[in-house]
Amino acid sequence: MAHALCPVSESLRLLETALAGNGLRFPRARRIVEDLQLLIRDVASSRAGGEHLETIDSLLVELRDFAHAPSIDELAAALSRSLLDHRETFVSHIETQNCAEGVCKNLVPAPCQMTCPAGIDIPSYVNLIAMGRDAEAIELIRRDNPFPWVCGLVCTRPCELMCVRGRIDQPVSIKFLKAFSSEKALSDRSYRNPPKAPDTGRRVAVIGAGPAGLTAAYYLALKGYHVRVIESLPVAGGMTMVGIPRYRLPREVIDLEVGMLQELGVDFHFNTRFGSLVTMDSLKEEGFEAFLFAIGAHSSYTLGIPGEETLQGVHSAVDFLRRVALGDHRTPGKNVIVIGGGNVAIDAARTAVRLGADNVTLAYRRTRHEMPADAEEVEQAEQEGVHLSFLTVPVEIEGDNDRVSALKCLRAKMVKRDGSDRLSPVPVEGSEFFIEADAIIAAIGQQIEKECLTLITDLQWSRRNTIVARKVTMETSVPGVFAAGDAVTGPATVVEAIGGGKRAAQAIDRYFEGIPQPTLPPVPRRRARTEWLDIPAASRMTLRRPEMPLLSTERRRITFQQVELGYSENTTREEARRCLRCDICLRCGTCVRVCRDQMGIDALQLGYFDFDNPGPTDFRITEERCVLCGACAANCPNDAIRMEDRGNERILSLCGTILNRQPLIRCQSCDAVIGPARYLDFVQEKTRSVSRSHHDTDVRCNACVRKDAAHSKADNIALR
Amino acid sequence: MSQFRKGQRIEVYRKSDDESWEPYMNTYIGCHGIVTDPDTVINDPDAVIEVSLDGHGTHRLPQDCLRPVP
Ligand SMILES: Cc1cc2nc3c(=O)[nH]c(=O)nc-3n(C[C@H](O)[C@H](O)[C@H](O)COP(=O)(O)OP(=O)(O)OC[C@H]3O[C@@H](n4cnc5c(N)ncnc54)[C@H](O)[C@@H]3O)c2cc1C
Ligand code: SF4
Repeated sequence: MAHALCPVSESLRLLETALAGNGLRFPRARRIVEDLQLLIRDVASSRAGGEHLETIDSLLVELRDFAHAPSIDELAAALSRSLLDHRETFVSHIETQNCAEGVCKNLVPAPCQMTCPAGIDIPSYVNLIAMGRDAEAIELIRRDNPFPWVCGLVCTRPCELMCVRGRIDQPVSIKFLKAFSSEKALSDRSYRNPPKAPDTGRRVAVIGAGPAGLTAAYYLALKGYHVRVIESLPVAGGMTMVGIPRYRLPREVIDLEVGMLQELGVDFHFNTRFGSLVTMDSLKEEGFEAFLFAIGAHSSYTLGIPGEETLQGVHSAVDFLRRVALGDHRTPGKNVIVIGGGNVAIDAARTAVRLGADNVTLAYRRTRHEMPADAEEVEQAEQEGVHLSFLTVPVEIEGDNDRVSALKCLRAKMVKRDGSDRLSPVPVEGSEFFIEADAIIAAIGQQIEKECLTLITDLQWSRRNTIVARKVTMETSVPGVFAAGDAVTGPATVVEAIGGGKRAAQAIDRYFEGIPQPTLPPVPRRRARTEWLDIPAASRMTLRRPEMPLLSTERRRITFQQVELGYSENTTREEARRCLRCDICLRCGTCVRVCRDQMGIDALQLGYFDFDNPGPTDFRITEERCVLCGACAANCPNDAIRMEDRGNERILSLCGTILNRQPLIRCQSCDAVIGPARYLDFVQEKTRSVSRSHHDTDVRCNACVRKDAAHSKADNIALR
Repeated sequence: MSQFRKGQRIEVYRKSDDESWEPYMNTYIGCHGIVTDPDTVINDPDAVIEVSLDGHGTHRLPQDCLRPVP
């Protein structure tokens, strides 16, 4: 692949090579090189601000202090030269967010990776899983997400919604592949922590042991910081431990992955509530210099209907689920009503079933169509016997002897309000009805408990009652104070919390180093360039996304055993082979255009290239039409489409999908490759008057034909 | 304003008036994407929802800057 050289990406390459080698023996020099790498990566990915170049210059001056170490001196000299000679290019990357050489855009990650809020290099790990290299897959995932097993079981998988394979049939089952690999690597004892950087001697306090806080703690510990995690509960995991029920996420999964942080030296203080037992001042006195608030959203919205405050048997879903998670397995009642239509409501309803409720009804104001809960979760809940009551608006909780006895509801109808095409539920007058109940669980949303932070008077809050933080760096209005996870976004997802925790860790590190913060969100990093696996076009087209095997419904109704049983090894490897390797093929469409418009052949039916209007795709069609001229491969900007001779065949492949393979015809005199018959026919057709047909019995290459012609000419002359 | 559903195609068609809009988000105007998490619990038109923008990553954006792509 021939690229114009871009000095920015060249400098980045120099730094990466230096960091991968062992010439950086001095910790401070290594640290400077790491900082330079961070800053130049910002430049390459258009997220640098005005101060970046200045800081790069001064770090280079510092690096030159190590002149006595030849490899460092060389590196500093090369970088300084590049900055001096190509200053304008660096400036244009920052100011116009554009790489004039067009090189840096080739660092663009696959759509799945771009979508992942944690920025995991999905195609690389999916490919490693296809090859059976689970430990490497896990090592790669953990560079961006320290909790592959947790996410393999509960991630909301936005990546799958963007997965390009979904434009052909169904997305790659990215989440379950990750779960399989994590389990395998842990069971093989090959799931390990990477080495830690030398101790920085600096202390960071993380408040909240949910995914956001734990992620930040992990990356900060790896960078050599002393991290203390302060958690009010007796366990780590946050909502993954006390919200998400055990039948979706077994406790061992969280414990094993949190254990990896303990192994790195992260110091956990459980049963410790920030704001009462511990404050910013007390932590500052102990030498803590940076703070991350990742306290989640643990208080609930109330229904605001009569009976809610006064009657026994009314619970909020998060309180109910927390109690169950912490070991209270008493049934909430025989007739349980859960109010809400989201995932939390479904979790509460399914938990109530498992605790022995006879009837569990989920009351939702809108229709099934508007339900925000995951369709698969809803289906599983129905299989377990949860009854869904749609268009049901609760208006009052009825009681008997201070205990809940029924829920009074009104039927609703969906109506379009003026100026909006959003359908809203409007109660129908006189449509009252009652649902018998001895427990009511409200699951209509959570919010942040801000009381513990009221002493930090400069901390800004949004009108949604979330902590105001810059999304790019998670910096709050108070210097040295960062925030991440649900406390910033409002109730969101595990993987968003992980992404926020990671960005916060990076920003905290820059804060300590005194280097500028980026101005744009990070462009996820390609972590590997794994070779693709060959797969015939027919297999690539016909392999289907597998169904997840489930625990029997009977057992699901009475135990907290994991419902999704996981893929088998064979299924996992096959599923991973459905991936199209969008990290290599950028879907620019050049190959399709060249084949159709320039060669007039139209052998590539790759409708999935188009994001907005995907057309039909069939890799198998290529074999019918393609003449193996190689024009597509010659014009591919990223080496995604390749034509090569292997043994007696010429093969055209796209990221490993074998599009066409044809036997080669060889010269009868010298055995040199002449080409596949189809290509020779094609050439002959185009040059009918001058070329020889390979259908002749005497098949020879042009060189041999010329040589023979020259010989017979010479013989003729000699004879004369 | 539209009600957004998971998997729906959307366009960021304008700057939002909401306080959660940050200046860097201006670069997303005109981008197309998919709704990946439409306010998990309460169907609140005021909630910030998770969208993934083609080539520009995943973000929580206020709904007033989004419209469905047919
Ligand atoms: C029932 C339920 C099911 C869910 N299912 C899914 C799912 O399937 N997939 C998904 O992606 N997301 C799911 N979520 C959302 C997900 O769990 C959260 O988005 C995620 O856990 C947020 O992480 P966080 O680190 O920001 O906060 P949390 O996980 O909430 O952690 C915050 C931690 O801070 C602690 N804390 C709070 N205040 C203090 C204080 N003053 N001092 C010390 N510690 C404090 C809390 O005890 C808690 O441990 C679910 C949420 C719930 C409620
Ligand atoms: S096909 Fe593979 S690389 Fe492409 S988006 Fe899906 S998982 Fe990612």
